[in-house]
Amino acid sequence: MAIGSFPAIGAALAIAVSAIATAYAQAKIGSAGVGALAEDDSLFGSVLILTAIPETIVIFGLVVSLVVAGFI
Amino acid sequence: MTKISVTGSKEHLEDVIEELHNLQLMDINQYEGELDTGEPVSEAEDLSELLVDVRSLLSKMPELEVENEEVRIGEVQKDIRQVKEEIEGLNQQEEELEREIEQTREKKQFFKKLKETKLEINNLKPSETLDVFIGKLDASKFEANVGVDDYQLFHSKSADVVVYSKRKADRIETALEEAARDRFKLPKTNFSGTCQEVYKKLDKKLSRLEDRCSEIETKEASIAEEWRGKLVYLETYLTEKIEKAEAPIKFATTQRTFTAKGWIPTDSFEKIEERLAEVSKGKIHIEKAQQDEKEQIPVKHENNRAVKPFESLTDLVSVPRYNELDPSFILLLTFPLFFGFMIGDAGYGITTGIVFLAGMKKFPQAAKIFKALMWTSASTVIFGLLYGEMFGTQIYQSPFYRGDLWTPFFYLSIAIGIAHINLGLLIGAYNEYKQHGLMEAIFAKLSWILLQVAAVAGYFTFTNYGTVPGALVGIGIATPTLIMLLKGEGVEGIVEIPSLISNILSYARLFGVSVAAYSLAGTVNAIADPAMSSGSLLGIALGTTVLLFGHTLLTFLKIMEGFLQGIRLHYVEMFGWFYEGGGKKYAPFGAKQS
Repeated sequence: MAIGSFPAIGAALAIAVSAIATAYAQAKIGSAGVGALAEDDSLFGSVLILTAIPETIVIFGLVVSLVVAGFI
Repeated sequence: MTKISVTGSKEHLEDVIEELHNLQLMDINQYEGELDTGEPVSEAEDLSELLVDVRSLLSKMPELEVENEEVRIGEVQKDIRQVKEEIEGLNQQEEELEREIEQTREKKQFFKKLKETKLEINNLKPSETLDVFIGKLDASKFEANVGVDDYQLFHSKSADVVVYSKRKADRIETALEEAARDRFKLPKTNFSGTCQEVYKKLDKKLSRLEDRCSEIETKEASIAEEWRGKLVYLETYLTEKIEKAEAPIKFATTQRTFTAKGWIPTDSFEKIEERLAEVSKGKIHIEKAQQDEKEQIPVKHENNRAVKPFESLTDLVSVPRYNELDPSFILLLTFPLFFGFMIGDAGYGITTGIVFLAGMKKFPQAAKIFKALMWTSASTVIFGLLYGEMFGTQIYQSPFYRGDLWTPFFYLSIAIGIAHINLGLLIGAYNEYKQHGLMEAIFAKLSWILLQVAAVAGYFTFTNYGTVPGALVGIGIATPTLIMLLKGEGVEGIVEIPSLISNILSYARLFGVSVAAYSLAGTVNAIADPAMSSGSLLGIALGTTVLLFGHTLLTFLKIMEGFLQGIRLHYVEMFGWFYEGGGKKYAPFGAKQS
């Protein structure tokens, strides 16, 4: 489907910025999580969950960019 | 689970412990109360000491693959000191030799740089009138700057030596300072002669030292060959023995009697009663005991063979509570489905299966998780056949080919999300019903489902009959639902409403990963395509390499994506609606803890 330049840029920004935000959050949580695992490796499940939480941000970015691009 | 208390006379203490250890059924509680706790059996201390020795000895021995060898404690106890001294002596010699080898290597390196200068080693040492610079020099810069000629310069490929008179030291050293790129320190050595000769002597010394070092290693290996099997056997044996010897610490005792309390699976009560009576010749009293207030009942998973491998994935988050539904069966039901839905490629289904099979062989301690993952491979093959995809190429004209159906796939992902979360809510309602009764189940969990019904009903009335009827229907159902929710979950429930939407939207990742999986495989094929279709032998070889490398890499990438995204949809999005966890794992006395 053809879309205008501005919607295209908007869609790209939506996913790009939210991906950076997710990466930033995961980096912080991930490094703290590895620190916690070094102390007690039974925490693996909880650390996995904590690290996975910010991924929702990029999914929102994906949804917004799909809406802007006219996909849905 | 049933709590029992075992009371008997102390003369049967050891037999009872031995039998409980063999049965591997009782999760013994630590006694806390006014009575004394038992003392470890007298030999426990000696055994612990021996175990420490055995472990330290094992850590000092080279690692060899040796079969375990049965041995008596006395036999090892007699010789262990001597072996320990021997191996410690060898370890020390080896360390010293390694240090010397390292030093000799450094010296050799130094003289190698000066080999071509033909200087005697004595010429490199400062004397009363002369000083020496050894290093790397920008020679032309030095000669242009120095301005005096009371020095001599010796070149070699990787080092320069300047011997200069101490009378003109100031000027020469300043010039050296400016032109020097590196300085080397003359190492101490007892050898004499030219640098070339010293280099050769050091080389000989080095090989002599290395020979001696490997001699020592051989000696260590022969000791390890003789002892390692015995020690590994003894380590397991002693660990078990000490476990038994220290068991009385958890018991309550009086001068002549002991009482042990703990949890057993309810159906094994009679078995324990019978066996303990047998070893103590009937002189033992076993009864069902009262559960203490706030005491956690240990939890043992009870699942059929298909669900069993998924228990470890549940425990990874948290062990279920005693009166809570074990969500392992949900993982069996939907985790492979999600994985297959996202990756959906018959080729990758097979390659991931090979990886998991190899993992099962290679890491037996994680075999359970790999076994669970095998299900995901099977599901990936099935979805691959359904989509008509194999390594990113379309193998037949499937009506479900993903490449043509992205928009329906997106809506399908969201629909799966709604179904999955509502399944979670229904399980949550069941848990609430079991723990707190019907009203709580309706208020705390079913109200969430009603809230969704309100939204859907409102939306459809709005599209068919206009804004006002739509709003009326929506608000009409939502208001009582919100009151129920407030009653069931408190203010937190109201605050949590947006998270219901965000959790459902999160299932869009099923679509997202699906797109990524589809396009990545296509990309590898597109890269290899020009080479493959060139027709030349070299082109086909190159193309095949790209395909092999690319699809191997993607196999691992897809395992990671499919696993992480699939499992987190369960852990974060779904379990959050019903799963509490925090249970205490059933750890019967005598069973190996994984």
